[in-house]
Amino acid sequence: MRLRLKGGRVLDPANGENGVASGAVRDIEIEDGRIVAATDLKADAEYDLGGAVVMAGGIDLHSHIAGGKMNLARLLMQEDRRAFPEMPGNFCGCGGGRAVPTAHATGCRYAELGYTTVFEPAMVGANARGAHLEMADIPNLDTGAYLVLGNDDYFQRLLAAGAGQEQVNAYVGWMIEATQAFAIKIVNPGGINAFKFNARKMDLDEANPHYGVTPRKVLTTLIQAVTELGIPHPIHLHGCNLGVPGNDDTTLATMLATEGRRLHLTHLQFHSYGTEGDRRFSSSAARIAEMVNANSNISVDVGQVMFGQTITASADYMSQYRNRGLASPKKSIGMDIELDAACGVVPFEYKDKSFVNALQWAIGLELFLLVEDPWRIFLTTDHPNGGPFTTYPHLIRLLMDRDFRNAQLATLNKAAQAHTLLGQITREYTLEEIAILTRAAPARILGLTDKGHLGPGAVADIAVHTEDADREAMFSTTRMVFKNGRLIVKDGVVVELAQGTTHVARPEFDRSVEKDMQRWFDEAVGLKARHFRISDGELRGGAGPTILKCEGGAS
Amino acid sequence: MADVQTIENVACGFCGLGCDDLTVEVEGRQVRAKAPVCPEAARLLRRLDTADPVARVAGETASETEAADAARQILASARAPLIGGLGVDMAGAGAAVDLAIRFGGVLDHYASEGLFRNYAAAQRTGWLSTTLAEVRNRCDLLLVVGDDPSATWGRLFERFFPATPLFAGANRRVVFLGAAPGEKARGQLAGAQVVHHATEDPVAALEALGTLVAGRRPPGESFGGVGAEALAALAEELRNAHYAVVTWNAADLADGDLVATRATALVDRLNVTTRAGVFPLGGRDNIIGVNQLLLWRLGYPLRSAVRGQASSHDGTLFATEAALADADVLVWISAFRPEPPPAFAGKVIALAHPETVFDKEPDVLIPVGTPGVDHAGTVFRMDSIVSLPLGALRVATLPSVAEAVRRIAEG
Repeated sequence: MRLRLKGGRVLDPANGENGVASGAVRDIEIEDGRIVAATDLKADAEYDLGGAVVMAGGIDLHSHIAGGKMNLARLLMQEDRRAFPEMPGNFCGCGGGRAVPTAHATGCRYAELGYTTVFEPAMVGANARGAHLEMADIPNLDTGAYLVLGNDDYFQRLLAAGAGQEQVNAYVGWMIEATQAFAIKIVNPGGINAFKFNARKMDLDEANPHYGVTPRKVLTTLIQAVTELGIPHPIHLHGCNLGVPGNDDTTLATMLATEGRRLHLTHLQFHSYGTEGDRRFSSSAARIAEMVNANSNISVDVGQVMFGQTITASADYMSQYRNRGLASPKKSIGMDIELDAACGVVPFEYKDKSFVNALQWAIGLELFLLVEDPWRIFLTTDHPNGGPFTTYPHLIRLLMDRDFRNAQLATLNKAAQAHTLLGQITREYTLEEIAILTRAAPARILGLTDKGHLGPGAVADIAVHTEDADREAMFSTTRMVFKNGRLIVKDGVVVELAQGTTHVARPEFDRSVEKDMQRWFDEAVGLKARHFRISDGELRGGAGPTILKCEGGAS
Repeated sequence: MADVQTIENVACGFCGLGCDDLTVEVEGRQVRAKAPVCPEAARLLRRLDTADPVARVAGETASETEAADAARQILASARAPLIGGLGVDMAGAGAAVDLAIRFGGVLDHYASEGLFRNYAAAQRTGWLSTTLAEVRNRCDLLLVVGDDPSATWGRLFERFFPATPLFAGANRRVVFLGAAPGEKARGQLAGAQVVHHATEDPVAALEALGTLVAGRRPPGESFGGVGAEALAALAEELRNAHYAVVTWNAADLADGDLVATRATALVDRLNVTTRAGVFPLGGRDNIIGVNQLLLWRLGYPLRSAVRGQASSHDGTLFATEAALADADVLVWISAFRPEPPPAFAGKVIALAHPETVFDKEPDVLIPVGTPGVDHAGTVFRMDSIVSLPLGALRVATLPSVAEAVRRIAEG
């Protein structure tokens, strides 16, 4: 099957091509789901793009799309489902919701925005099988999941006993394989565990009340583990003290704790709060961005707050419990999980007239605009925690259009306006930078060499947008979206459902750890290790995962 | 004679507790469980070397294709189908949702009453809960409300209270608030201190307990028949516990919704100063997994309807009994056990366990295999977090629910 997309302006930063700037148009050729060099062969189908902007399919490296906490959110927030019923379309009766859309709606709404790959950033090992079943029911998207590690009692025990790095690596390797994970996520390093022992806060150098292990030790040990196992994505860190005014110092100390090794700090906005001003809540975006700019080992995503009703769902039960008084509507869920992790689900409405919420909004945008390297910052709202992913087009316009941004700022809480530098920042993102943030850079940091670009050999996941000076309008809809070379969205409407794949990383590790894992599961967990482990055939209805074999790094 | 094959570490999908350490002997078509096994699992795993029943249409023997065709014809002209029973593995649940999307219909599980009693509390205020491995290792004070659950979950206390927990220490306590614990429970709890407060009104006792835990003294000498002093002492123990857990079986309690509400409030209050969690019991025949799947596919839990390419949920109207009053076709699916369909005047399509005894011959009967016996599958545990892979113990001769539904839907 050969397709030809004719006459598009190709925006492909990974390969240094910018047809938007040069005005040059060219064809893109697809053979059997992959992009190939142009030929004179007759195509089975041709699509005239008429000079529209052509990019690789979008990649979201941090969006909560599956797993038990999302189902708890659906259960708790039936209001969200009722308020956003099925969109018109002839597929099924199973798509609805905005903050916590169904699997079907998730796949369709993302595809309509031109996204074709999305990573669930907080898969709990105990719940991994369920998360994979759910991901298999998301149409149109390739997926993958980061395994939450670092709060599990097995790991804490290892550290408390002074286990060597090799023992840790074997455990991490075993867990990644067993849960079919793509990367390692740490959520509130050690804090979730400490909360089970009734600690209510946990700073970077505070000792776990039971194990005596500090978050710094958790972080540095796991950074070393993924480095030595050769996992392409660095540790994906949701740091200490989420949402706490004054967490800026901890965030800065966390970056320094890496000692130059790679680290990804996720939803950085929630970790960039100072305590200045009469309300003891201020923006530290400038300080944090300066540190990010100065340290090329650090990458971040923002977790931008967008105004309106949403629901927050996190493995960080400690923080979610602390914040549950802010729930709106007033209800919340918390759960300790399996000597493994936890979760907290708190509905939340971000209000533009609230000082705190307005300043959170401004802090997120300050980070976007003050971090200089577009290859090390990613466009996220931490869906749905800062806001649903369907707000991305609006966010893109905020980044690309200074007048629009300042007009929005002028409508917000007055005190918040006085506490932000945002109005003085002149930077406007270019289309090329947006393409880097949403395509090229996530593919690079995830180690997906055949995604995020349009060169020969790339997966033919392609988004075509009609250029519009109103960038929100431009990114709200797609002229065409191709998934593996199949047209799935035409003129903004899903015309076909494609079945995606699930990316997993497969490191090599010392398999002698198996015996100890069996003993742990038998004695402590009360489940057989062999039943915890997910076989390849359990993924994607028997199709199995797409495996990225890891080459061990420096040990 | 076939050789006897012994299979170890078999996972069991019947009651929702998720034991996965069973030893099973298989001899040709025969299956029998050996220890460790509870009576229910032993009964439901037992298979004799008997011929499978065949499909029937209007009481007459039919091929599977003929039965699927007949089922499709009934569904194609149905006005309001109810897809009930839903004792299915995850693949079967997905197929049942596909069926509802194709033909329209209400989806409910036959054991959903307890689940929705719990949701009465959960959807209003939320709740703070815990899972099995946490209970096993952290719980130093377990409050069991209502009847002794060992009758339904034969190995519950064995699984809750292992001999050497990681953190809970030696002084684990179990307080029964309701009926007295039976011999089995006492045996499994031999390593713990067991206390019983008899009451026939656990709601009143729990409410007083919640007030006491909050540091106030409710007016009265006794609550649900439990003395104020005993409850005050229990409240003190709960406050001093490192990790208290409250458990109950809402399905068995007339006021299950109120028990869930009071237990949730009690645990909420405890967490202000110490740690605690609720552990609601349930989970029979993968109801939790089916519910999970509905939540991610439809955005709604069980008791939901798919009509005209949109779904809706109503915990009262779409409960099996109420929905049957409006239905003209019942698709009854029960693969784990021979659960018969409820009385119903309309047409019945049964995808049923081969040993099901029907009061009235279904219009279409398609015998199906059992997940974890005849074919592999996935089921969720009652805590809604952990799911288990069930393996096949023998060669399947009957279709799985997923296969049978596919045959109906695809024709």
